[in-house]
Amino acid sequence: MGILDKKLSLRDRNKMLIGVWEDEDQLMAGASEIAHAGVHIHDIYTPYPVHGLDRIIGARRSKLARIAFFCAVTGLTLMTTMIWYMYVHDWPMNIGNKPVRFTPSWAPVMFEGTVLCTAFGMSFFFFWRNRLVHGIKNEILDIRQTDDRMVMAIETTDGMDEKAVLNMMKNHGAVELREFHNGVQTVL
Amino acid sequence: MIHDSIIRDRLVTGDKTASDVTRDIARPILNNPSTAWKVGFTLSLIFLGIFGVSLLYTLFTGIGVWNINKSVMWGWDITNFVFWVGIGHAGTLISAVLLLFRQKWRMSINRSAEAMTIFAVICAAMFPVFHMGRVWVGYWALPLPNAFGSLWVNFNSPLLWDVFAISTYFSVSLLFWYIGLIPDIATIRDKVKSKLGKTMYGFLSMGWTGSTRTWARYELISLILAGLSTPLVLSVHTIVSTDFATSVIPGWHTTIFPPYFVAGAIFSGFGMVATLLVVARKVMNYENYITIGHLDAMTKIIMVTGTIVGIAYITEFFIAWYSGNIYEQYAFTNRMFGPYWWAYWSMMTCNLIAPQVFWFRWARTTPWFIFIMSIVVNVGMWFERFVIIVTSLHRDYLPSSWVMYSGSLTEIGLFLGTFGIFFTCFFLFAKFLPVINMAEVKSILRNRE
Repeated sequence: MGILDKKLSLRDRNKMLIGVWEDEDQLMAGASEIAHAGVHIHDIYTPYPVHGLDRIIGARRSKLARIAFFCAVTGLTLMTTMIWYMYVHDWPMNIGNKPVRFTPSWAPVMFEGTVLCTAFGMSFFFFWRNRLVHGIKNEILDIRQTDDRMVMAIETTDGMDEKAVLNMMKNHGAVELREFHNGVQTVL
Repeated sequence: MIHDSIIRDRLVTGDKTASDVTRDIARPILNNPSTAWKVGFTLSLIFLGIFGVSLLYTLFTGIGVWNINKSVMWGWDITNFVFWVGIGHAGTLISAVLLLFRQKWRMSINRSAEAMTIFAVICAAMFPVFHMGRVWVGYWALPLPNAFGSLWVNFNSPLLWDVFAISTYFSVSLLFWYIGLIPDIATIRDKVKSKLGKTMYGFLSMGWTGSTRTWARYELISLILAGLSTPLVLSVHTIVSTDFATSVIPGWHTTIFPPYFVAGAIFSGFGMVATLLVVARKVMNYENYITIGHLDAMTKIIMVTGTIVGIAYITEFFIAWYSGNIYEQYAFTNRMFGPYWWAYWSMMTCNLIAPQVFWFRWARTTPWFIFIMSIVVNVGMWFERFVIIVTSLHRDYLPSSWVMYSGSLTEIGLFLGTFGIFFTCFFLFAKFLPVINMAEVKSILRNRE
C-alpha cells in the first residue's frame, strides 16, 4: 500500500450518487442505514468533524501514532549522534572543566530535536497520505461542503439498486440528490 | 447516546447555525477593512517604524547605544525577550493543554491565541539576536563545522539550549497553527469572490475537501501535536529560566525558577489574550463566540497562575533567608528596599495582589474591568523580568562595580517597536485569516454531551 490514500480522489470513478444534508443527526442516521444495507459509502464531506462517520464508512484506524513514534526515535538518534560527534569525537572542548561525555545537559537539545523531527516528519506523512498539496486542484462536490452542508458520495457498482439508495437518502433528510459522472453533476 | 446538555451553559450563544458561523467569522475577510481596523493598523505601522529607526540606529552605531554596561550586561533587551516569550505561552496552553483536557471553551479563542504565540516569539527573538552585537555572524549560534568561523557550539550552555528551544517552539507552533487553519482556509476559498483571493486561499488550503477520512486523521494529528506541544511549551520556559538559574548570581541561582517561570509565562500570556480578545470581541462583533463565560474561564486561570507566581516570590524570599547565605539575603533585601524598590513593589502589586480581585464574579464577568486588569498583569510581568535581571546584576559581589541602570531611548524605542511588529502581524492576521476556528466552533453549536 502506498502512502497516498487513493480513495480520496474522485477521478476515474464510476457514476456517483450524491446526497446533500443540512443536519448531522439525520446524516448519521442515513449513513448508518445505508451502510447496514450493505452499500459501500465512498466518502462523506463535512464542514467540521462529525464523530462516528469514519467508522460508518469503514475508514481504517490511522497509523499516524506509529509514524510519530518512528519519527521521534529517528529525531532522538540523530540529535544524540550529532552532539556526540561534535562534542566528544570531533573537537572536545574544555569549558569550565566539565566532562566531555554524555551528561544530562545534553537532554534539552536532544528533546527539542526529537520534538521537531516528530512534528514535521509526522505532518509530512499526514499531508502526503491525505493528498494535501499546495496548488492541487480542489475536488469538491458542493461549494457549501466547507460551509454548512454535508455531502455523501456513493460510487455505483454493478447490480446496485440505485433507486433504493436514493430513497434511503431522501427518507433520512437529504435536501438534494444528484448524480456525478465524468466531472458533470446532474440534479435528480 | 448523544444528547444536548441541559446543565452546561452554551459555548456559543445567539442560536447560531453553521452558516451563521461562516458568515460572521468570514465577514472581515470578505469585506473591505473597517475604520477601526484602518486606525489600528496605521497605529501599529507607526510603532513598527519606531522599531525600524531604533534598530537601524543600533546596527549602524553599535550596541553601545543601549545603556547596558559591564555589571548590568542584560537590561531591557533580555527583559523584553523573556516578556515576549512568556506571552507566547498562553497560545500553546490554550491550543494544546486545553485540547488534551478536552476543554471545549478553548475553541473560540485558540486560533487568535496561537497567532499571538507566533507573533510574540518573533518579537522575542529580536532581542537576543540583536544583543549579539555582530548580528551578521549570528549563525555562529547554530551547530556548524569549525570551518565556518566559530567552534562547534557548547551543548552545556543554556544559551544554546535556548537557540534550539525557541526555534523548535516557533516552527512547531507555526505548523500546529497552519494545520488548524487549513479547513478554515478552504471555507474562505469557497466563499471569496476575487480571482486573486481564490488563487491565494486555494493554494494555502492544499485541496482540502472535508473528507471524513481526512477529518479522522486530522483530529489524530491535532491530538499528537498537542501532546508534543505540551512538554515543548514547558521545556521552552524552563530553558529560558535556566539562562538565569544555572548562573552563580544571587537572586538567579535558584531551583524554583523553572516552574515559577512557566506559571508566570501562562499568567502573562493569558493577560495578553484577554487584552486582545476583550477588544476583538467588541470591535468584530464576536460577543456570541467569545462569551462572558470565556472571559470568566480565562480570568480564573489568570488568578490561579498569578497566585502561583506570588507564592514563588515569597518562597524565594524565604529560601534566601533560610539559606543563611549573605549574598542571597542581600540580593533579596536589595530588591525590596534598594534603589529599585519601586519596580519590586510594582511587580508584587500587579502580579500577586491585583489578580486576587478575580475571586469576585463581577470582576470576572465585566469586560472593561478585565481589559484594565489584563494591562496591569502585563505591566507586572514586565516588571518581574526587570526586577530579576536588573536588581540581581546592578550590585554584584564586588561593590566597586555597583552601578545603576535605566533603559536608553533606543532601548525604549525597540521595546515599543516590538508592539508595532506584534500588532501589525495581528491586524494582518485579523484581516486575511479567520480569527476564530470556524470548523471547531461549528462542531460545538449544539452543546453536545
